[in-house]
This record gives sequence, structure tokens and C-alpha cells, in this order.
Amino acid sequence: MRQQYAIRSMIIAAGLVLAGLAVIVQIIRIQTSEQAKVFLSQGDRYAGEFQMFYPERGQIYDRNGHLLAGNRTVYEVGVSLSEMESPDSLANILSKYLGLSYDEVHKKLTESPKSWEYVVIQDYVGVETVDALQKLVQDMNNADDSRLSGLAFKPHLQRSYPENALASNVLGFVTRDGRGYFGIEEKYNDLLAGNPVQVWVPRDPNKASEIPKVPNGTTLVLTINRDLQAKVESILDQALSDYGSPNGTILVMNPHNGEILAMAATPRMDLNNYGNYFSLYDNGSQYNRSIGMAYEPGSVLKILTMAAALDAGTVTPQTTFIDTGAIEVGGITIQNWNRDAWGQQDMVGCLQHSLNVCLAWVSSQMGTQSFYSYMERFGLGHSTGVDLSGEATGRLKVPGDGDWYPVDLGTNAFGQGVAVTPLQMLMAASSIANDGKMVTPHVLYSMLRDGHQYNVPSQVAGTPITAETAHTLNQMLSASLEQESSQALLPGYRLSGKTGTAQIPADYGYDATHTNVSFVGWGPTDDPQFMVYIWLEKPSTSIWASETAAPVFSKVAEQTVILLNIPPDAVRGQLVTK
Amino acid sequence: MQGQATQIIHAYRQAPWRVQRQWIGAFLLAVIGVAMVAALYLDVTARAAVAGREIQETRKEITTIQRENADLETQLADLTSTAAMEQRAVASGYRPVQPGELDYVAVPGFVLPEPAILLAADDAVPNVQNQPAEYTQSLLEWFEDRVKLGGLR
Repeated sequence: MRQQYAIRSMIIAAGLVLAGLAVIVQIIRIQTSEQAKVFLSQGDRYAGEFQMFYPERGQIYDRNGHLLAGNRTVYEVGVSLSEMESPDSLANILSKYLGLSYDEVHKKLTESPKSWEYVVIQDYVGVETVDALQKLVQDMNNADDSRLSGLAFKPHLQRSYPENALASNVLGFVTRDGRGYFGIEEKYNDLLAGNPVQVWVPRDPNKASEIPKVPNGTTLVLTINRDLQAKVESILDQALSDYGSPNGTILVMNPHNGEILAMAATPRMDLNNYGNYFSLYDNGSQYNRSIGMAYEPGSVLKILTMAAALDAGTVTPQTTFIDTGAIEVGGITIQNWNRDAWGQQDMVGCLQHSLNVCLAWVSSQMGTQSFYSYMERFGLGHSTGVDLSGEATGRLKVPGDGDWYPVDLGTNAFGQGVAVTPLQMLMAASSIANDGKMVTPHVLYSMLRDGHQYNVPSQVAGTPITAETAHTLNQMLSASLEQESSQALLPGYRLSGKTGTAQIPADYGYDATHTNVSFVGWGPTDDPQFMVYIWLEKPSTSIWASETAAPVFSKVAEQTVILLNIPPDAVRGQLVTK
Repeated sequence: MQGQATQIIHAYRQAPWRVQRQWIGAFLLAVIGVAMVAALYLDVTARAAVAGREIQETRKEITTIQRENADLETQLADLTSTAAMEQRAVASGYRPVQPGELDYVAVPGFVLPEPAILLAADDAVPNVQNQPAEYTQSLLEWFEDRVKLGGLR
């Protein structure tokens, strides 16, 4: 009997073992089957997701720590289609709050492909709108009303410019795809944008791992003084209105290190509405006329001719010239701006009365090789190297070029037949205000990255003239301004400078009715701490720079000495004595 | 002689019920051991899951705070923009200073400060060294630590 039980037990045990083995075999078979691979891959798809971590775009500050470009939160408003209960209600509410048409929203909600889990209704929605929508959703949820279920808000950052249009020509702008255009935003786009990092983020919390640190984009500090920039822009706008000029530009620079303190140009654009770009500008070169547009500067270029002649030893301040009102260079007769003969003049008189004939004689005395060698050393025809996007190089024709004629030696001496940008002229003139050393203009003061500040060193672009020549010409330009009783003068301060009234080239010859007026100047003469360049296009109230650009220079100088804490000469002398 | 041998064998052989009890005891011991390890593993796994969830939440929180920080900086800049400050100054009765109204005073030793930006504190860089051991150690290492510390807690 016991043996019979034992046999039965063995049979049952064997059966159970076989059943167990069958289960194990089936488990292995299922795990390794072709279908299992499909299921596993499906599972992997939902096990996590690749997420792109975009660094916050670096901010831009002025030299005193005022924010010029930052970031603010905006939202992507979308609907999770699997959670949606009432497309009609959603379409109704979203069309009202987001300013869209009901049909457009309803179509997105009901006619999206079935495989879609989520549909974007509108991106870059402001905080106020989203707050109102979120409150509505909350109220409806509290009332057990689920008609807005599925509505989702995904926050992200967007570029923001707290000063709106201030310094817009310098800053440039960033489009919604995160790319910078013009100015600093384009020039330093890679630094500002930083490096996005793509990471696999598992949904299983057990597999949660450290996400690599995504450093923010580099923050930039500019040499721009926000308050001075605002004043200069205000003066420029007023000048355009007063003198009937369609456009203009004003630059303020430190002659010792090339730091641009203010760079105003028109038209300016509210950077928070960069969509206006195409209605304001015909082409990219107009975005910042200070660097993007070359023009014939006229008599402001005479300071370079005189600097070259003094440096070469061709003339001294006391050299006399008998002005007969005309001179022939290369077979072409050159006349003065008023076609008069000014008689005997020294070199100060030539500058003071802005005599074309005298300066054409000076360049002729120098000869082509010496004259153009100096102009090259002043950087004409080359970019200044300023750290802004969209710089034009201008044009300096030299002997050997197909379109250079012998008369150009005479006309180039007083700024005709040569094209420069305002910044090129300012850079060249910096050699006169800075002991012969020409500085490279720049807008970036420092970069902040990973808790460190990297200051940008100033660069000397060359020494086209000696310090002695620079001092001599500096005094000559100051004397000529004073003797002229120029409207550029500022009481209490000795300033140096030169006006420029230039005819505008037309298809044939020059425009008979319009001029470009300019002024380049600096101060205080004995220790220049600021340089100013002014260009007003086609003023209608007067064609002369002495009546338009010169008084603008005085206003800019007045605000500059206040904001840069530069005391009048007499006070400065007392302070030095103490 | 054979009877003597049988007696000796019977004297030293365990009773069948004793052998059974030993087997059952050994089996139960093994079951308890496995249960203990399973419980420990479950505990550690649960804690790792909680920690993982906390990491995910903290990550979201960091992103939100960074965004709020950027927002606040921009709001502050809006409130202190040139136009806003000028408007407030005029409303408060101020007007732009004229050159003749300025007095300059010599202050011995004073040097006009260079432009400088106060840098925010350097962000702490998370790395393996400053992560708690719970995030990195294995079950055996954790068990060894507990034993060294004088028992499980």
C-alpha cells in the first residue's frame, strides 16, 4: 500500500516538475521570441526621452551694470489630445484668449493626425495671458468642470530688451529661432547662445542620473554708457528734426583705449518688435550707419591730410600759402567751397577756413606715394576691426587702380573721391588725439563666464604719426575752432575739431542741392578724454556743417563732460595743482 | 555479533522525525535568509526610487527657479530703464543739471572707479564627490557600511 502511495507521489511530483519546466521554457521562449523584441523596443520608446537642454542666452550689460538685453518667460500653449474632452470649449476659449480664429483652433484640435499626442496652438504667449488662462482652468476644475482638460502650458525663455530701442543699432536682435542678427547679438552669437546639450532622460526614477551641467551663455559687458547713449540719441533725434535731416549718426569714443561710449544712429528699432525691421531698413548696411555705410566725408578728412603733411615735414603750422582761389591738379581745376581766393594763409588758416585749394596744394607737395602711404596707415579703405557685425570697409583709390586719376590726389586731400565710414574717420582721428597712436574701436568691455570676468584689452592699430605731430595738429585744430568763433565751442572747455561739408556723388557728377555734413572733434584739448563724430545726411535748413553739425557737437560735448565727470579746464587745473 | 552492530547503528542514527525536522529547519533558514535579502533589496530599491523621483523634481525646480530669476532680472531692468527713471525723476520734480550748476570738489586719493560688474556666486558644479553615498553605493557596500556602523537602522 505504502509503495503504491510512493509511486503516485512520484508521478505527481514528476508532473509538477514537468509543469514547472514547461512554464520556465515558455517564459524563456516568450522572452526571446521575435514578438518580444518588438514589445521590448516599444517599451524602450516610452522608457524615457531625449531632451535638449538649452542654456539661458547670456545677458548684455552696459559698462555700469545696466541690463540692455535679458530674457523673460513666455509659454507654448498646447493641448494633450488624449486628455481632451471638449474640443468646442477649448477652441472657444483659446480663440478668445490668444486672438486666433475659432475655426483655426478647432481644426487643429479635431483634424490633427491620430498618431499625435499633443498639438501646439500658439507659442511665445505672454505671462499675463497664460496667468488668465490658468486661473480659468483652475476655477473650472474647482467646479468639477473638465471641459478644458488637456490644456497645457510649457514655459521657456525669450530674448527681451528692457530699454526697447535704446542702442538698438549696437545690440542687434535675436529671432525666435535663437539666432542673433546685427550688432553684438550677431557678432557674439556663439558666445551668448552657449552650447545646448542633448540628454537621455529615463522615466524610471531608479535610472535617474545626473544631468550634465549646461552652463549659461556668456554674459557680455559693453563699453557703452547707457545714460550717455540715451542723451546722444536724444540729441541726434532733435538735430534731425531741427535741421531737416532724414538720417544721421553720432559716435562718442575714448581716444586712449578705443572704448565706444555711445553709438547712435537712425533709424532705431524697438528690439522687442523686430518684425518692424523690413519696414525700417531697405538693406542690412542701413542698420548701423556708423559702421555699415561709407560716404564721402568732405573736409573732416583735411585733418588727416594735414597730419600726414606735418608728419612728413612737407609743411609746418607756419608754412604760408597764397590762395588764388583755384589750383590745377592732374589737369583739373580745383576751387574753394565758396570759389573765393583767400590770399595768404598759414596752415591754421587753411584748416580754419577749410580751403580746398590749400589742402590740394599740400597733398601735391607731398606727392602720391607719401600721401597715399599715410592714408593707408590711417586705415582708410580697411575695416577698423570693431567687434560689431556688418562693418563696411569704405574705399580709398590708390595709384594703379583702374579708376584712380591724378586729380584724385588733390580731391582726396579734402575728402572727395574717397569713401569712409564714420567709425573709420573716428579711428583715424584718434591718432591725433592720442599722441600719434591710433586705437582700435571696440564695444565689448568684458565677458562673464563661469564666475570669472575676462576684460578685453585695448589695442593700438598703429602709429601713423608721431606724438609731436599729433600735439601740433591738436593745437592747430583747437586754435582754428577758437578763431572761427565756431558753434562747436563749449564754454569752459578747450576743444579741437573740424567741420566737413561734402557734396554727394550722383550718377553724373555731384548732387547740386544736398550735402552731407560732418564734424570730428575731441576734448579737452590738453588731455583728450572723449572724441565725437557727427554725420547728418542731407540737412534741409542749411547745407553747411558749421551751422548744423558744429552745434550738435557742442551739445554732445556738453552732455559728455557732465556724464563723464570732466571738470572745466580751469577747475581741472586747480584740481591738478592741489 | 551482528545483533551488536545493529544496536550500535540504532544508537547513533537519528530518529527519522529528527532528520525531517532538520531538513525543515534548514529549508526555513534558507527561506528566512532569502526573505531578508529580498526585504533589504526592496528597501534599498524603494529608497533609490524615491531619491530618483526627488532628483527629477529638483531638476524641474532648478529650471523653474532659473527662469524666474531671469524674469525678475528683466523686470528690474524694466523698472530702472532710462525712460522709466527719467519719467520718475521728472515726476519727482528733478530736471537735468546744467554745466554751470556743477561743483567739482577735489577728494584726495579718490580714483574714478573702473567699470566693474559684481559677479554672481560661482554655481556649484555637481559631481560624484559631493553626491550622497546612497546614489552610488551597491547593496553589498551599503550592508557593509551598516555592519561597521553597528547594525541596521
